[in-house]
Amino acid sequence: MERVCQRDESALSELYDRYAGMLTSVLTRIVRDDQAAEEILQDVFYQLWRAPERFDGSRGSLPGWLMVISRNRAISRLRKKNPAAGGEELNEGAVALPFNLESEVSQKQLLGLVRGALETLPGEQRAAVELAYFEGMTHSEIAARTGDPLGTVKTRLRTAMETLRRNLQS
Amino acid sequence: MSAHLTHDDLDLYALGVMEGQERHDIEAHLAACPECTQALAQARGRVTLLAMSLPPEAPPAHVKTRLMAQIRQETAPAPQRNRSSTDERSAVRGSGLPRWWSTILVPAFGALAVVTFVLWQQNERLDQQLAALHDAATNQQAQLDTATKLADLIGSSDTVTVNLAQQPGQPQGAAHVMYNMKMGMLMYDGQLDAAPAGKSYQLWVVPTQGNPISAGVFQPVPGQPDHWMMDMPKGLVPKAFAITLEPAGGMPQPTGPKVLVGVA
Repeated sequence: MERVCQRDESALSELYDRYAGMLTSVLTRIVRDDQAAEEILQDVFYQLWRAPERFDGSRGSLPGWLMVISRNRAISRLRKKNPAAGGEELNEGAVALPFNLESEVSQKQLLGLVRGALETLPGEQRAAVELAYFEGMTHSEIAARTGDPLGTVKTRLRTAMETLRRNLQS
Repeated sequence: MSAHLTHDDLDLYALGVMEGQERHDIEAHLAACPECTQALAQARGRVTLLAMSLPPEAPPAHVKTRLMAQIRQETAPAPQRNRSSTDERSAVRGSGLPRWWSTILVPAFGALAVVTFVLWQQNERLDQQLAALHDAATNQQAQLDTATKLADLIGSSDTVTVNLAQQPGQPQGAAHVMYNMKMGMLMYDGQLDAAPAGKSYQLWVVPTQGNPISAGVFQPVPGQPDHWMMDMPKGLVPKAFAITLEPAGGMPQPTGPKVLVGVA
């Protein structure tokens, strides 16, 4: 990032090569539109180039921060496309990733680990987590989508996140 | 300041599912608590791992080409202004246009660029205003829907009100439930002592047949009442309502002691 701050184009190119793949899969999953996903991806890196000081390396990880920014933009795009979806203001802030995502190898290892953790969840818990993360839905939006009582959805998500936390920590 | 936020609260907040008062309370706490703000960064990290359940997908090469062209365009040096008059003449000659054209075209392109920039800025502003108006309208509609539901619930002759009785040896509190079986709607109104560390309260509807159904997990703020409405399965005949103490975040079925109980 220091080299990006010094306006070194090759540094941005390296960061793009390292993280564009993992960001693309999430963007495409959220917006379900290749062109929109490409626009967001380009814009995220362009903004990183224009205002690298927005990322504070002392407060967290760059890939985590890029992922949060990308997800937020994709979900904002999704909400504009579908005004019926409500949702709250999304936050951008420090992100402390518990794993290293610097290399393609570590990204692939993590893929297996996270998939394994998700697969341990009962189907309805996993579905609720995916609606929240990949569609940006709130508790009540998930309840409306699934037809389950709000309390059930809340309990389901709380239990799911607790299980994921425990599995990923172990 | 109230007790620190739990991992569960932070994970759910980072996931973006919290809304309304729940979200407001968490943000108010975060604004005043550096420790929880730091813990939120870790929660964001945990939530971000969900993205890693998808295999990386290489974007088309043209995206990077466009990106690098975009940044080069921005960082390209401005045209040199100290070229010799000979260079300038040859450049104009080379373009095939009379020299005086440049005195018109350059300001014209400049003006066009300014107009484009101003229009783009206006468009961005309008987009933001539109998004804010949409959010406000959505919130107002949600409030109106809640108020309408509440009026319907209170006004219906089918609605029953059940006072929940304090159970001995449990945290102090008082609460009542309004329930309408035909509308499939429940309203809770009550005030309880803070839950012990690592615990949450959970409200249950105990039907005449089948297992209890959760109607909300909550962590009261001392001195403040809790109030919410909940959609329930229509036609569910209640035998009783109960609040139990459960592990933080609630359980699929009651496991802890009963704190308040009311028979329907």
